[in-house]
Amino acid sequence: MTKKVEYWVKIPFGPIHPGLEEPEKFILTLDGERIVSVDVKLGYNLRGIQWIAMRRNYVQIMYLAERICGICSFSHNHTYVRAVEEMAGIEVPERAEYIRVIIGELERIHSHLLNLGVVGHDIGYDTVLHLTWLAREKVMDVLEAITGNRVNYSMMTIGGVRRDIEEKHKRLLLEMIKYYREVLPQIEDVFLHDSTIEARLRDSAIIPRKLAIEMGAVGPTGRGSGVKDDARWSERLGVYPDLGIKPVMPEDVTGEKARGDIYDRMAVRIGELWQSLELIEHALDQMPEGKIKTFPKDNVLVAKLKILGDGEGIGRYEAPRGELVHYVKGKKGRDGPVRWKMREPTFPNIFAIAKGLEGNQLADVVVGIASIDPCLSCTDRVAVIKDGKKFILTEKDLLRLSIKKTREINPDIKGDPTPAGVGCSRGVLL
Amino acid sequence: MSKEEEFVEIVKQKFPDVSVVIKENKWGRKRVWINVPRESFRDFMKFLREYDEDAHYSIAIGEDVGEAIDFSIHFLLKYEDAPAISLIVKTSVPKDDPVLPDISDIFPISLQFEREVMEMIGIDFENAPDKRRLFLPDDFPEGIYPLRLDDKGIPEEMVKNAGHPYLLRRGE
Amino acid sequence: MKLIYAILGLVALYIYVSIMSLLFAGIDRKLVARMQRRIGPPILQPFYDFLKLVSKETIIPNTANFMFRAAPLLMLATTIALLAYTPLGFAPIFATKGDIIVFIYLLTLADFFLVVGVMSSGSPYGRIGASREVAMLVSREPAMMLGVFTVMWGISKLGVQKPFSLSSLYEHNIWELGPMAWVAGAILIYVFMAWLASEIEAGFFNIPEAEQEIAEGTLVEYSGRYLAIIKLAESMKEFIAASLVVAVLFPWQLDMPGIQGYIANLLIHTLKVFIVLFVAKTIFRTVTGRLKISQAVNLLWTRVFAASVIGALILAMGVSL
Repeated sequence: MTKKVEYWVKIPFGPIHPGLEEPEKFILTLDGERIVSVDVKLGYNLRGIQWIAMRRNYVQIMYLAERICGICSFSHNHTYVRAVEEMAGIEVPERAEYIRVIIGELERIHSHLLNLGVVGHDIGYDTVLHLTWLAREKVMDVLEAITGNRVNYSMMTIGGVRRDIEEKHKRLLLEMIKYYREVLPQIEDVFLHDSTIEARLRDSAIIPRKLAIEMGAVGPTGRGSGVKDDARWSERLGVYPDLGIKPVMPEDVTGEKARGDIYDRMAVRIGELWQSLELIEHALDQMPEGKIKTFPKDNVLVAKLKILGDGEGIGRYEAPRGELVHYVKGKKGRDGPVRWKMREPTFPNIFAIAKGLEGNQLADVVVGIASIDPCLSCTDRVAVIKDGKKFILTEKDLLRLSIKKTREINPDIKGDPTPAGVGCSRGVLL
Repeated sequence: MSKEEEFVEIVKQKFPDVSVVIKENKWGRKRVWINVPRESFRDFMKFLREYDEDAHYSIAIGEDVGEAIDFSIHFLLKYEDAPAISLIVKTSVPKDDPVLPDISDIFPISLQFEREVMEMIGIDFENAPDKRRLFLPDDFPEGIYPLRLDDKGIPEEMVKNAGHPYLLRRGE
Repeated sequence: MKLIYAILGLVALYIYVSIMSLLFAGIDRKLVARMQRRIGPPILQPFYDFLKLVSKETIIPNTANFMFRAAPLLMLATTIALLAYTPLGFAPIFATKGDIIVFIYLLTLADFFLVVGVMSSGSPYGRIGASREVAMLVSREPAMMLGVFTVMWGISKLGVQKPFSLSSLYEHNIWELGPMAWVAGAILIYVFMAWLASEIEAGFFNIPEAEQEIAEGTLVEYSGRYLAIIKLAESMKEFIAASLVVAVLFPWQLDMPGIQGYIANLLIHTLKVFIVLFVAKTIFRTVTGRLKISQAVNLLWTRVFAASVIGALILAMGVSL
């Protein structure tokens, strides 16, 4: 009797890899080309946000919450503001709610088009990447006209929104919707009927429904596996019930029962794109006139929050990647919250896909990870290993080293970013 | 009877010593806040799993409140039709005995949240199958919990300031 | 004396083919970019890349052995030797009886040196890439070999100077062998185009090489001069493989004597090679993505090899009847 000997190889995937957008390490145990198990290690991007937030007030944390993520920054802002409003009992005027819906759906269109391109790139289909990202330029132009920025639009404040949507913006929005109604059928045709995409995306990285519920998978990942949950719908958030929202399941788009593979998740995203266009149209029709902020000035806001902020509040919203939850606890008399904790949707999704990748081939790892749309938010430190010893570089060291290297490459460079003072140029003024 | 009231009735029958409150916010959304003592924590979790098989575990929060450490979990139950039951379960452990039972055989995703709370606040979950660090690097010193407000928090010399105005004003 | 002329001709051909193949790579990138609604790099970009790579520092990993440094040079040497047997519009320089076997052997040997070089770098990603390259190498050659041998056998029945040599393709060609040969020729066009796509590794078959998204490919450990040599050798191999396809399927040339005859035939041949590569590389690359290795091997064995068997049988029947 011969014993079967298997050679299992452990390969690190990341933290720096051309196929990943953010640093995270997956340790794959491989048997030839088949994956046996996946171990996830996070923490390469840890910024210590909760620790910083314990030392700031309500309005500053709003700015901090925006910068957790680049592409779902509006969602983090929105959820934090809802949590604070629930805790303090602040009412929001109706026009502000409609504007929140419009900007949220514009962000969703932006993020889904980006993800469609990234999945196309990861299967080697560069044409899809370039053409989808070309279609994304229109949404970014509209967002720049309304909010002034292409990616990090700070439109929210506690008790309303900051900027209004005027007539010229309305015209731009209607033009954009007309443009997308012509482009989206072509995108849908590519993603649902092309032969390469069907060969690569069908039946790979399957997350069965039971695993999705156990691991708490949310967003298109969960809905693609058959879990019917959408935070805007199950929470009856704001004015969404008046606009006719319901969760988009793969059966609505492909016509077949949900199998939980990558194809179904893409189908959910395409269905959500259509739904976002309809929601924006309805919101533009139904938007009433009125004011957009409860407290017109920021210092009035902080003073009122000192009095009103007592208790706990939970905010739940559907970011493009899934359900986002923020928890805020405040105490009367403090100008900042006592505790603030958020959970981003990629956290359970990553563990769900780590179990779902077992048994697949190595080529499915990148596409599987790109299909859950990873967007992590953790801490950051740089560690250097030299002669077997590890030492940590701080920001001052990094700045010094990069100035030295630039001078090596190009000795007659003119600018000099060496900080005068303690390390921040604002430090000189104080 | 709304879904929340039905649920509260069943909870009060089975667990008479927990305190249950339904709060409603300004736009009509109800949430159920439950305080559970440490001893019936695990049984309560098992009851939740039987009550709704598709119970969705959203977030676990650890918090330092002076003499004790609070641990809260948000659940979403019965979400086949809107609106779903939004439930928050809170339990509290004293600081000199921060031990809680591990619930990752009932809710497998809970293991990752427990790892995070173990390294950030310092609650020890006994029988957890995986007690490695999740976010902090491996050479972070033991015994220092970043989110505590007392002496076990981050000491001043570990804070490497890059020139932020707040700390500069203190003359560093 | 003839030997000296032959070697000079080989050196001239080497310079010509390397310039032309790099030029085609530049044209290809520009056309692909235009099809994707971008602007794309300038046409001479591969030359700039080559010069830049030659001037960069070469990093050799600790775990590499001598084969890591020797493999790129051996690959380039094999490709230059291959040039001596390539039909470039006229009979190959060192053509002898039965040199088709030498041609196929050298073509496979060049890929083999690349695999050995990558494996001896000691990196686990390189090992995965090398195993995929070997799987594809084994799966794509049989279809082509069967097709070419049948064509050669058919042509040698018509009476040629050197049977089973690539020079015989310029005395008679496949389309003269009767109407059944035309049917077989249509099937063999499909087989040869699929073989060319998998030899260049474009589109569906872009699996082992530039797979930076997935396992960082076979070229992950090479840098500097070695990478420049490997890229040049790969471009030349593309040109040579396309030359084979053009010579078997579309070998019509002019009949001019003397040195002008050679140059004119060379230019016509280059134009035909560009057209064939345009279809097999540029259009194919833009219109499709890449497959998994198991799907690609499956495709090569079940579709391409089966078609090759059918085509060869039809051709053989047509010749013997």
